Amino acid sequence: MKNESGRRGLIINILSLFFFVLLWHALVTLARDNVFNIPFMRLRDIPTPPETWYAFTRSLFMQSHGPVITYGIADHVKASLMRVIQGGIIAFIIAIPVGIGIGYSKLIRDILNPLVEIIRNMPPMAWIPLAIFILVSGGSIFIVFIGMVFPIILNTIHGVKSTDARLIDAAKTLGASGSDIVTKVIIPSALPSIIAGLRIGLGVGWMAIVAAEMVIRSPVGLGYFIWNMGDLGRYAEMVAGMIVIGIIGYIMNISILLLQKRFIKWAG
Amino acid sequence: MGRLVLQGVSRRFNDFLAISDVNLEVGDGEFVCLLGPSGCGKTTLLRLVAGLETPTEGELFLDGKKIEGVNEECGFVFQEYVLFPWRTVRGNIEFGPEVKKMPKEERERISRHYIELVGLKGFENHYPHELSGGMKQRVGIARAYANNPKLLLMDEPFGALDAQTRNLMQAELLRIWEKEHISALFVTHSVDEAVYLADWVAVMSARPGTVKEIFKNNLPRPRVRTSLEANALRDAILRSLGAEIKRAAGVY
Repeated sequence: MKNESGRRGLIINILSLFFFVLLWHALVTLARDNVFNIPFMRLRDIPTPPETWYAFTRSLFMQSHGPVITYGIADHVKASLMRVIQGGIIAFIIAIPVGIGIGYSKLIRDILNPLVEIIRNMPPMAWIPLAIFILVSGGSIFIVFIGMVFPIILNTIHGVKSTDARLIDAAKTLGASGSDIVTKVIIPSALPSIIAGLRIGLGVGWMAIVAAEMVIRSPVGLGYFIWNMGDLGRYAEMVAGMIVIGIIGYIMNISILLLQKRFIKWAG
Repeated sequence: MGRLVLQGVSRRFNDFLAISDVNLEVGDGEFVCLLGPSGCGKTTLLRLVAGLETPTEGELFLDGKKIEGVNEECGFVFQEYVLFPWRTVRGNIEFGPEVKKMPKEERERISRHYIELVGLKGFENHYPHELSGGMKQRVGIARAYANNPKLLLMDEPFGALDAQTRNLMQAELLRIWEKEHISALFVTHSVDEAVYLADWVAVMSARPGTVKEIFKNNLPRPRVRTSLEANALRDAILRSLGAEIKRAAGVY
């Protein structure tokens, strides 16, 4: 029963995507044939799905034209992903202790909360000029870090604070020390929330990296790629890059959800 | 072992006097039930014995040693089980031995023993959410026992169970308790449960809670719930308790 409705859902998902691509194709080709015209919109300049697909396959891998090398989409994906992973690891390493500290200790909360509350309201993009100005390299990694660190901190705080006080009492009567309570009660109890923070953080980090790469002109990276293709008027490549960004974000989200299912069996 | 003495114990929360001047003595290996109207401070009393609260006045002693700070010689069994949801049955039972840094083989020996004692063989690797209420409380009891306590503290442990499971668990608790005999302080709302389980029953007054009356129960175990003697005792306790319940509800 459940499987059947799941399969039905999947079929509808695929049909809906297919329908959207068809609509896209129809609108653009009809506009090109002057069947209709929307003022202020250069609909005819949008690449059609086949053109986008062709641009995607053509620019997927690195090409050399004599001495000139053009990076392929695969290289841009790899560069952007590496930055997100590096920024994400740093964010994770810093956010977990900070989040546990703020959630667990009133003193740490009083010290760090004002800082966290102000900085987290500065969007990652607002840090780009400073990153360019201060950092010799790794500016985009820093922007990813800024984007990821706060969702993880906030979710960790939430997870720590919502630890059932009775579980802590139970642990105490069983002889648990302060560090036992943190490692054996608070952290496992906060884990689902921490992973949810990681998921949100990855989403923000992925958006931040594309923006950062547009402004910080590193020669490789998806943000740079779509900006550059737009500049050059190669709109099919640009749209292909945009779709790749969306699909990779989707895959990251699904991966974390699977990770959650795998590691948090106990949530039932 | 497991002699608990409470001398003039009071606990105040700001302006709120939860329990007042409680004097109580649980002898070695005695099973004592605490009965009282809702909000009379029965849970506070257990938490004081466990050292999770400190008394505003008075002193508590376990085997002559004053209770200060968390009392690790008590095994606490909670009403809503309060199992660690991320640990399996075995993991929950081994929590105490684990934080006491016992070697792995010793821990496993202990958990195997108690899993068998409470009748959970075959469920070692199940998570709490996969168990029924009665099974969860078996884990709760095993977890308390695995820490080798001198005194078992139970806060309405069967309050969340259906009537049939509850009767079964009462019999199971006595079976376990008779095998591994330690003192027990058991809070309940059910007079029937108290008469079935206890060596003696302390009825507490409405708030601020204090010990109002004590009923000895010398009926031999296993007890017949419907025997004349059990009924007479139940009747006497209900009358004593009834007055307090009315007082707590504001009916005179």
